[in-house]
Amino acid sequence: MTSYTLSEPAYLKLFFHAAKHPHKPVNGVLLGKKAGNAVVIEDTIPLLHHWTSLSPMMEIGLDLAAQYAESVGLKLVGYYQASDRLNDTSLVPVGEKVVGKIKAGFSDAVAFVIDGDKLGTDEAALIPYVSSSSASWRPYAGDTIPFAKDSSFRLASEDLPRRAVTLVRENRLHQKFGDFDDHLEDVAIDWLRNKTCLPTAS
Amino acid sequence: MSLSTALERLAKYRTNNTRASQKTFEQGCLILKSGPTTKLGDEGWAFLEQLALASIDVGRLDISDECLKQLAEKFPRSPRVDVLTGIRMEATESPETVLQYYGELLEEDSANAAVWKRRISVIRRTGKLEKAVEELSLFLDTFYTDVEGWLELADIYSSCNQYTHALQALSHALLLAPQNPFTFLQFAETAYTSGDLPLALKMFLLVVEMGERGASPDAPPTGIQIRAWLGVKLCARRLVYSPHVSSASDTPVPKTIKLIDELATERVLAAYGGQKETGSKHVTDWLASR
Repeated sequence: MTSYTLSEPAYLKLFFHAAKHPHKPVNGVLLGKKAGNAVVIEDTIPLLHHWTSLSPMMEIGLDLAAQYAESVGLKLVGYYQASDRLNDTSLVPVGEKVVGKIKAGFSDAVAFVIDGDKLGTDEAALIPYVSSSSASWRPYAGDTIPFAKDSSFRLASEDLPRRAVTLVRENRLHQKFGDFDDHLEDVAIDWLRNKTCLPTAS
Repeated sequence: MSLSTALERLAKYRTNNTRASQKTFEQGCLILKSGPTTKLGDEGWAFLEQLALASIDVGRLDISDECLKQLAEKFPRSPRVDVLTGIRMEATESPETVLQYYGELLEEDSANAAVWKRRISVIRRTGKLEKAVEELSLFLDTFYTDVEGWLELADIYSSCNQYTHALQALSHALLLAPQNPFTFLQFAETAYTSGDLPLALKMFLLVVEMGERGASPDAPPTGIQIRAWLGVKLCARRLVYSPHVSSASDTPVPKTIKLIDELATERVLAAYGGQKETGSKHVTDWLASR
């Protein structure tokens, strides 16, 4: 079984994306690499928050994200999305399409849906979706609950969810974060790296 | 920050319909604490409504209840306060309870468009998309000029891959608000998604044209123009190589497609002029690829 570990920048960025647009759906892609059976998700590139069901800017954003990933020695390994509705944790058709496309280049591709109910808690606010041999994507249903002890889904450190909440509530770092939609309105916004939104200590 | 600047900023949010809930909430609380809102005159009531909505958005229901109480005392049986009460109920009550409440309001006054729209949004939220579409269509039969309603209908259709229907809904919005480039942009992106590249190109070019009116032709594109030019490029570079693609709307491919393609490349590069840090290299590579 392949294991997935999310690094601190990767988790913080997707968390900030959801926190910045609480009443909108958002999506983006995950960058990482595989060593043995372990996929390490090292970074997140946020894509859209305007019209997440429409494809032109998604296509361009995906192309650019893939090029950037290659230039830093990483691959597109997954997709994430958050819904505008708290109790909606299904992977939308666009998400299936995008992660399907990523899977064509990386066979262990994974999708995460952000769990609105857990966003403000100490738990990882992510629901992993995996695909079997067929094209359908389903919530991961292994022996262990994702992100619990001994699960094949891990965060780089256990206190990441709690830290993410603090960084949003007290430091408002999500306001310094920008996605491809933001970048298209102001090309000075560095959506590929988003360095300014990360805490300086790390 | 002084009270008057806070009030001014909040008034601006109201005019522009900006949903900056966190900021509205923070500044609104300052004003609320500064004394009775009756001192603010008529503006005070609009402010309370705005703060109530923002408080619900950020999850501070205690503040929204305080605002609602003042509003309900001042305007008993006001349809506007009724709607606000409904939205507050949506935050904590079950969809069934809220739908029943909206149903009762509509029985009393079937012309309350705001209540009707809230009801449709609750139906959509419960996942009954067919019912939501049916109700929304009925609503738009009655309130044809409601642009927001047409955009919502287009959004529902797009979310379940019904792009042709989405385009139909959007064309009503275009008729009603022909001066809004964002609606044209949404139309262009929907047309592209539906696979009608010539139509998408035409609409992207319209957005470009709307933005260039009165502007210097040499100025680099900004804001919505960057997005429109990227859209032009995306369509043109495919149409250059396959000018005979099918178009559901029978839109012809311009004869000058090659020039349009070159111009789009030049315009996108101009938009990135001087932005080395934020990915202009990747954009340059992307423009050069096919």
